[in-house]
Amino acid sequence: MSTSQPTLAVLVDELTRALGKSSVLARPEELIAYEYDATIERARPDIVVFPASTDDVATVLRLARKHGVPVVPRGSGTGLAGGAVPVQGGVLCVLTRMNRILEIDVRNRTATIEPGVINLQLQEAVATHGLTYAPDPSSQRVCTIGGNVATNAGGPHTLVHGSTVNHVLGMRVVLPDGRATFLGSRVPDAPGLDLRGLFVGSEGTLGIATEIVVRLVPRAEAVRTLLAIFASIEDASNAVTRVIASGVIPVALEMLDREIIRAVQHSRDVGYPEDAGAVLLVEVEGLRETVEQQSAQVIEALRAAGALDLRIASEAAERERLWEGRKSAIGAIGALAPNFYLLDGVVPRTRLPEVMRGVEELSARYGFRCGNVFHAGDGNLHPNVMFDSMEPGATERVLALGAEILRLCIEAGGAITGEHGVGLEKRSYMEWMFGADDLEAMSRIRLAFDEAGLFNPCKVLPSGHGCASAHSAELTHHLATPGVYV
Amino acid sequence: MTATSDLEGVLAALPRARHRETSAYPIEGRFPSVALRPESPDGVARVLAAARDARAAVVPQGARTALTLGRPVSRYDVALDTTGLHRIVEYEPADMTVTVEAGVTLHALQARLAEEGQYLSVDPPPGDEVTIGGLLATARAGAWRGLLPGVRDLVLGITVATPEGTLVSSGGRVVKNVTGYDLHRLHTGALGSLGVIVSASFKVAPLPEATAMLALRCPDIQLAERAAFELRDRRLPLRALSLLDASTATTVGVETRAPATTVLAAFEGVPAVVARAERESRDVARRMRAAIEAVPPFTWSALRRRAALAGSEEQTVLVRLGVPPSRVASTLAAVGSGRLEAWAHVAAGCVYVRGASLTAATLLALQADAHAAGGFLQVEHAPAELRDIGDAGDLELTRTLKATFDPEGVLNPGRWGDDA
Repeated sequence: MSTSQPTLAVLVDELTRALGKSSVLARPEELIAYEYDATIERARPDIVVFPASTDDVATVLRLARKHGVPVVPRGSGTGLAGGAVPVQGGVLCVLTRMNRILEIDVRNRTATIEPGVINLQLQEAVATHGLTYAPDPSSQRVCTIGGNVATNAGGPHTLVHGSTVNHVLGMRVVLPDGRATFLGSRVPDAPGLDLRGLFVGSEGTLGIATEIVVRLVPRAEAVRTLLAIFASIEDASNAVTRVIASGVIPVALEMLDREIIRAVQHSRDVGYPEDAGAVLLVEVEGLRETVEQQSAQVIEALRAAGALDLRIASEAAERERLWEGRKSAIGAIGALAPNFYLLDGVVPRTRLPEVMRGVEELSARYGFRCGNVFHAGDGNLHPNVMFDSMEPGATERVLALGAEILRLCIEAGGAITGEHGVGLEKRSYMEWMFGADDLEAMSRIRLAFDEAGLFNPCKVLPSGHGCASAHSAELTHHLATPGVYV
Repeated sequence: MTATSDLEGVLAALPRARHRETSAYPIEGRFPSVALRPESPDGVARVLAAARDARAAVVPQGARTALTLGRPVSRYDVALDTTGLHRIVEYEPADMTVTVEAGVTLHALQARLAEEGQYLSVDPPPGDEVTIGGLLATARAGAWRGLLPGVRDLVLGITVATPEGTLVSSGGRVVKNVTGYDLHRLHTGALGSLGVIVSASFKVAPLPEATAMLALRCPDIQLAERAAFELRDRRLPLRALSLLDASTATTVGVETRAPATTVLAAFEGVPAVVARAERESRDVARRMRAAIEAVPPFTWSALRRRAALAGSEEQTVLVRLGVPPSRVASTLAAVGSGRLEAWAHVAAGCVYVRGASLTAATLLALQADAHAAGGFLQVEHAPAELRDIGDAGDLELTRTLKATFDPEGVLNPGRWGDDA
């Protein structure tokens, strides 16, 4: 289902007149750069636009709708589920030029930002006021707040603070027909339907947020970061449960296995022990007295769970180093294999040991090495299956392994995606978690916002109109590059 | 009102043992023709399907504490009593998640969670007698809001009965999940107008080791505001931070006279940090020339009760404003004292005003000020003629969603206005 050339020509002309020449790309050589995100699924847009304001966005959406042309929103393109891939061509609406921090209200602990603001840019701006914006995905140096809103992004600190939806108070949104409205408010619990909550995590299918009001939290008075070393993933998984059972909710609880540790250390020495079966990176924060007592409780729990060794980061530089290792983990894998398949599943925390055993067994059975780095506290796992796409049949086998691992997650009472989203990649798995009635209810929501069905088509829900379901269109795998984060 | 004979089909949806006396279910002076109390999600679904066939209007209700939210319902044929759905479906303390049916009271849930040293960090008005379904459908929040996660942050997944007679689910029971559209968020605060919540999963938290509750009686509102912000800015482990005018404070047991304004602060955490909070609070009190004393849990439960809707006289107006925390004190000051009670939860920017003498003009002025500050006004209880005042979000999207999920207007018709 593609748009005719004459229609596109008219649309390009109208967009150029409305937004200006420097905001519209339509020549093939210019469009190539926008045909993918952090997956390798590719599709070329017909037009790329760079709106600078809510009015621009409204104009783009209105014009595109008038001509029956699909629109796909895009931030920095770091998405891991194909959410920003324009599978039916159309207009790719890139929000990166809308990158102003409009207001930081210290007394009220809110910030108002445009969608193209980079996550880390916001963090740094509010840090000077003793505040922090809690959702901190590993891609934060590159990803935009708008993208975070679309995916309901989490990060290592989700365990205590929650994900993006718990921090967005309100948004100015342009709906698919070009109408602008405000969802939520500047304070929580706005009366009426929680359209704000519905919009966050809707993967860019219900409209485009052009101004986002987020809440900020005060930086903790004290923080302590620990690295606990275990003989196996199983021991480390059991330790996770013990730590939480001790009554402490660490602000972060991350696990890395031997494959990942070696990959990270291979690229730079961040102090991870290469002979460990797995390590847990645990962080406790709060007031001094709280950190004092809670880190003692955590240490006791880790020892009782069989930690072979414990390292406590006693100063900021050491803490930074431990975290740097964790955040660069996926990029580091790139050195180990030509390709890798990054999975995102989630299970109840207590089922982690058995699920991780299952992941290990399945990978061995399929004959692939697999490195695991994940948010153990939330039960959100990221197995990374290493392979060589040039090997005949390898890609198909890797995808089959991925599907089996996700099935394992569902059977353990989990979900098919903890934070990367459904996008293109997992549409066909939606039926594993939801029945026909559930999916039908979801598609009604979508229709209520997007009557024409032209907004970011073929994402989230299993095959809509004209969405190719050929096996090749479902293929998604990841090039091992430094530009990928988890 | 639909004639009783049209409702035979609805009655037939459940066995006689599940039928109830209609006199027990008045809503603002009106009685239903049929009252049913199903004991399973399937039973709820059957009632809704039958009601749709009969073109009957259903109002789901649990503890019946908040039936005056939104506009008055335009039709009321069937009372759907959800209290028969009283099972705790699944509870895994080590995962810190729980799944409960909608008729379980918050009190029963908290009691069960406390056995494992856990709790759900919500303190909705008027008290723990609310059902989980009502808690979600109204999303009413208490003093903890803004300092602890609220029900919107804690809900992980939901199952809802639809007017078509189906059961629909979203989310799951894991704490991190971005699979599909969050119908559970759509239904939170939807006042039972899009579906009937039959069960939900939540994230729970460990009960705090220690708590303390203090009242700082400040000479005036400016000092009270300064005291409140100072407690907050010292990053003390607050779980509640409220400002009370003299009328409200006296009602909840802290005797003061205008213009004195009381700061109620509650702290939680490890014993050492709570002790520090008490020390620092005394320091703040001294500097603000405030008298400081510990207050018992009764004070907090009495404050929750001030936002009760049921049992209020018809003329009582209760209004909830949302304004930025920096505007809370000025909003309280604008309301003035006298025959009105006003109190606020600072972190959430939530201001309550209660009294019989609130006029339309006053409400509209308060609303205009709230809007100017980027906030909102909601009328939670008032006589019919004042119920059209207040904010309700994007009306067009609301009507579209209502039309898609409940085209025949089976559930709470009229809650969102004439077209919804």
